[in-house]
Amino acid sequence: MSESNMQYGKRSREASFDDRDPYLPKKAKLELVNTQDSYNDNNLDKTDSIYIKENYTSLQLKPDHRSRPLWVCDDGRIILEAFSPIAEQAQDFLVTISEPVTRPAHIHEYKLTPYSLYAAVSVGLETENIIEVLNRLSKIPVSDTIKNFIRDCTLSYGKVKLVLKHNRYFVESIYPDILQKLLKDPIILNAKINSVTNKNELMTEKAPNSKDIQIAGIDKKTEVKTEQEQEKINEKKKEDDQFGAFISIEKEDDEDEELRDEVVHSFEIEPACVEDVKKRCCDIDYPMLEEYDFKNDTINTNLEIDLKPTTMIRPYQEKCLSKMFGNGRARSGIIVLPCGAGKTLVGITAACTIKKSTLVLCTSAVSVEQWAREFKQWSNIKDGQIAKFTSETKEKFMGDAGIVISTYTMVTHTGKRAYDTNKMMEFLQSKEWGFLLLDEVHVVPANVFRKVLTTVAAHTKMGLTATLVREDDKIDDLNFLIGPKLYEANWMDLAQKGHIANVQCAEVWCDVTPEFYREYLKRSSRIRRLLYAMNPIKFQVCQYLINYHESRGDKIIVFSDNVFALKNYALKLGKPYIFGPTSQTERLRILQQFQNNPNLNTLFLSKVGDTSLDLPEATCLIQISSHYGSRRQEAQRLGRILRAKRRNDEGFNAFFYSLVSRDTEEMLYSTKRQQFLIDQGYSFKVITHLEGIEKMKDLVFSTHEEQIELLNSTLNATEKDEEESDLAQSDDVAFNNRNRGISRYGFATRRETTLKSHSGGDDMAYIEYNRAAAANIQKKRNPLFKKYKNRK
Amino acid sequence: MLYIANSTINNTSESIQGDVSVFLEKLSDEEFQRLYTQPATCLAIFRLLPDLAKQFIMRLLYIKKEVPLEHIKGWCYEQYIDKVNESLRRLYKLHICTKNENDEIRMSTVFQENLNNALIGAGNHTSFGSASTSVDKHKVNIEFLDKHGTEQWEAVLHYMVGANIRKKPSPAVLKLLERSGLMAKKDEDVNDEYKVFNRVDINELQITNKGFQFLLQDVNTQVWAFLIQYLNMVDDLKMDLVEVLNFLFQLGSLQLGADYSVESLTPTQQQMLNDLKHLGIIYQRKRGSKRFYPTRLATSLTSGSMLISKPSTEDSGFIILETNSRLYAYTDSPLQISVLNLFVVLKARFANMVVGMITRDSIRSALNHGITADQIITYLRTHAHPEMKKNMPILPLTVVDQIRLWEMERNRLKDEKSYLYHEFARAEDFQEVLNYAKQFDIVIWSNIRKRMLVVTTEGHSKVRAYIKKRIGSRQSNMHKQQQ
Repeated sequence: MSESNMQYGKRSREASFDDRDPYLPKKAKLELVNTQDSYNDNNLDKTDSIYIKENYTSLQLKPDHRSRPLWVCDDGRIILEAFSPIAEQAQDFLVTISEPVTRPAHIHEYKLTPYSLYAAVSVGLETENIIEVLNRLSKIPVSDTIKNFIRDCTLSYGKVKLVLKHNRYFVESIYPDILQKLLKDPIILNAKINSVTNKNELMTEKAPNSKDIQIAGIDKKTEVKTEQEQEKINEKKKEDDQFGAFISIEKEDDEDEELRDEVVHSFEIEPACVEDVKKRCCDIDYPMLEEYDFKNDTINTNLEIDLKPTTMIRPYQEKCLSKMFGNGRARSGIIVLPCGAGKTLVGITAACTIKKSTLVLCTSAVSVEQWAREFKQWSNIKDGQIAKFTSETKEKFMGDAGIVISTYTMVTHTGKRAYDTNKMMEFLQSKEWGFLLLDEVHVVPANVFRKVLTTVAAHTKMGLTATLVREDDKIDDLNFLIGPKLYEANWMDLAQKGHIANVQCAEVWCDVTPEFYREYLKRSSRIRRLLYAMNPIKFQVCQYLINYHESRGDKIIVFSDNVFALKNYALKLGKPYIFGPTSQTERLRILQQFQNNPNLNTLFLSKVGDTSLDLPEATCLIQISSHYGSRRQEAQRLGRILRAKRRNDEGFNAFFYSLVSRDTEEMLYSTKRQQFLIDQGYSFKVITHLEGIEKMKDLVFSTHEEQIELLNSTLNATEKDEEESDLAQSDDVAFNNRNRGISRYGFATRRETTLKSHSGGDDMAYIEYNRAAAANIQKKRNPLFKKYKNRK
Repeated sequence: MLYIANSTINNTSESIQGDVSVFLEKLSDEEFQRLYTQPATCLAIFRLLPDLAKQFIMRLLYIKKEVPLEHIKGWCYEQYIDKVNESLRRLYKLHICTKNENDEIRMSTVFQENLNNALIGAGNHTSFGSASTSVDKHKVNIEFLDKHGTEQWEAVLHYMVGANIRKKPSPAVLKLLERSGLMAKKDEDVNDEYKVFNRVDINELQITNKGFQFLLQDVNTQVWAFLIQYLNMVDDLKMDLVEVLNFLFQLGSLQLGADYSVESLTPTQQQMLNDLKHLGIIYQRKRGSKRFYPTRLATSLTSGSMLISKPSTEDSGFIILETNSRLYAYTDSPLQISVLNLFVVLKARFANMVVGMITRDSIRSALNHGITADQIITYLRTHAHPEMKKNMPILPLTVVDQIRLWEMERNRLKDEKSYLYHEFARAEDFQEVLNYAKQFDIVIWSNIRKRMLVVTTEGHSKVRAYIKKRIGSRQSNMHKQQQ
């Protein structure tokens, strides 16, 4: 048994060196292979008639297992009883060391991954601490497999830091032996600045401390309070004596700091060699954590920015920031918050804390505007110090420090540029940025980030997203490109506390009329998609729901990916619509009307409205056509109603309807789409029949003739009619090497797609396409890494 | 209350029969009157009746003459006349009351006397069992009995689910399992040469669809279903049905934890004792022992309280079902795991818990075994973990809906009897017939190109007559076919 337990993971060493991503440390490719066979051998007992793949019955329960909240499986899965009295502390711990898989009401599941462990280490947890706490919380002893996995993934991580202070780069560690080891490496040794005669001498000093930092927006009083809280926690600690010192992360940080208070060792390296050293450290499996000692940075000018005194930040936002500035320096990382939970404010607060030049990258020109507005709303930034860089406006800020807001496409565009764009890019490249804020990181594939990171020099990177899931595997590397995931909020928790709206989700099954179904069976996939979107019964259901919710006083957004359907629905039902080609001014006008005009309660949106569209008035959402099985799109769309203004009204519920045509592919996609939200604890009610729909007056397409007419017009719809869905097929900010003109609508990001989109390749069923693409990527990678990804 | 099944006892019937009163209704008057000589039986049957019927019995108990039906009806408000009639019907069926030609009701004197005896403790009988006179040297306590009863009973269930247990149930139990249709001999198809190598025992029993349904029932229903099957076999075993019934009802009135003497039992009943022992309904230290103990399975037979009061942890609910269709069951019992395995994909098992998932496939396989969505949902609900029971509704609505939808999914085709006309020789004939049928709105489906026409059963005679009359000898073939 012990022998097989050791074989949990295979190293990537066999893989040829060149294939490897220089940004990824080797350990990221570790994986947990299930070693269940070994258990099953000992376990041929009574139930051998029922074969259960994973059998852990040989792991004896601890005598006091009832008061311990979790089980740890050999494949890294952790099952947590959320109703346990100490579940909250356990959750804090688990969020730090593992990825939340699903978090409904009673039992949560998490998963240990190399990435999550890397994140844990980078916020200051230590290997043996992790194992010990995990063991303390577990009902069954943590198996050696898991222990070894944790050790392997964490032992060399987070031990070495690259710190920028006083404008000099230092490699820092609390373990002098590791530094000595690094110095044996010729590349690193070369980079070292020999300040002292002895070549291998290390500098030692007192470690930094969170006490001397002030996160903007959290006033000094809170600091005192935290101390009180600390005391409270300490008392609590005594209370649950049973488990001794416990898990609260802050505490771990403290312990950590106490440790570091003693001494920290470092050596300085040449700024020019920083990249080489970083790469080298990754190669020898000591990836460096980057920290920015912004308080001691005197070369980059300070930016005068602070939160307005009226700005309040919420507890969970504070938690995010405390993770980021935990030890008095700024760490790079990703923060995952649900849509509408105030990601923007977290970003702004972080910028206000660092107080250096800041570059914000977002997905579209509309979000650029929104970011600029939010900055002005929450902080005291002066107008001249905030600049927008889009295809339309190319501004520079006044003075030495300021904020630039731009889009990924503008920055990563490699083709020919207009003169002023070029100028602007030179400006961006010449600056040393204190803070790089990356919005909606989930839409941006890793290669775009690589491009951004090579273009822009930034000391701290912060990624913001609501949904760190993709149907392909392009985002796992983000953990190493941007930084570890620092915080992931629990949606249900926030909804309960009233920070985001409560949502009732429903999937409405619409029968397909026989005529439509007959055609559906015969046609190609493109027409099929049109047919299930244009199904007259769906039309009626949509009309019914709009009527019903308008009469309740709701503001409704109807989403349709398919532009043909979008136009038809909107025109037939007499509602305004916005899609790709709608001009900027037109959009603003419609949105304004929607927000303020009591007679305009329904708005049709194509996928341009999926993200970054702030409509707090909307309380009901109907989805009539969507992008295959994209979990992310589903979650992002739900996000449009999470920030509903009325969310704190008693008994308020927002509504999310997904209309699917029965017996079509749509059902399948729909199930897949919902998975992310279901994992977050949402539940989709299936509605098969709407009460009173037959009795509704003026029901559209109620006669057979009308339905046939609709069918004919649908069948005659050309690809041109769905044009936009081609253009924005993948709502990624695509990384494009081709030289293409920038759209006159300012929606350059949407028009610039990959070669495959233009050749119509994206129009193929997305599963097939992406699988093929993913397979290609995986081929380039080493096979073990691929295996690890597939297991997700 | 006892589980009430809709259909009668029938081996081929898919439903589980767990209601003894349905069985009783088949008995003859003579058998009833013999049954009623035992006060314990009278009391037990009294308990099985609906409240209103009980009320009637109490009112009639000391009236030694006929009572006009009008009077009885007058005891209740008029709007409840249905319930009155229903209660009276039960009383007639059980031969407790009879109605004469003058619409007067009279209660069976035997029943009257013996229920009275049961109530006031009069009479000289051993109907409620005769307690052992001597002190048992090997006295057992209630805890032991509970354990024994559960173990024995679950051993049978384990056998059913094929969980590998050390010993097979006794031949009597095996026979019962087979006769009741809960298990069946392995398919004949298996009976080919390769079984020689695999040494498949032809006599090996395999669980049937009915058996799967059986597993999802509560214990009381299961016990009764078994016993009723036993009653059906009484003739084969050359036992006296009345004595068997009397003994069963007697068991229901015994006291848990007390020991009773075997001597007062008839030979038939002593034989039964032996059979019931294997089911864990009673405990006897060894075969020739002069005393026996009823277990909780016995004493709760007629109390209607089921076994919920049982103070064991596993019955207090162990299943957590989440909105994401994941299921976590706190159990280490192979039986419960096997039952869950019927409709859950089990993923991982820990010492005290199994993790599984409800999927479309898992539910469909259960449905294919004849288990209904309602049975699954009821099972999940009754065994829900206390944490779940804090919520209202107990189970996540979406998952419950989903299970129901998966069941409905299977029933989307409706069948309707109808008649198909085809092979019309000439298109004109077909058109003529079609036009005719359309007048009466009896066409279900037609295809001009293939000259096929389907009409309702009501329309069939009309169309047939029309074809005979109009087309005469050139009449097309007519085929009758059920759609």
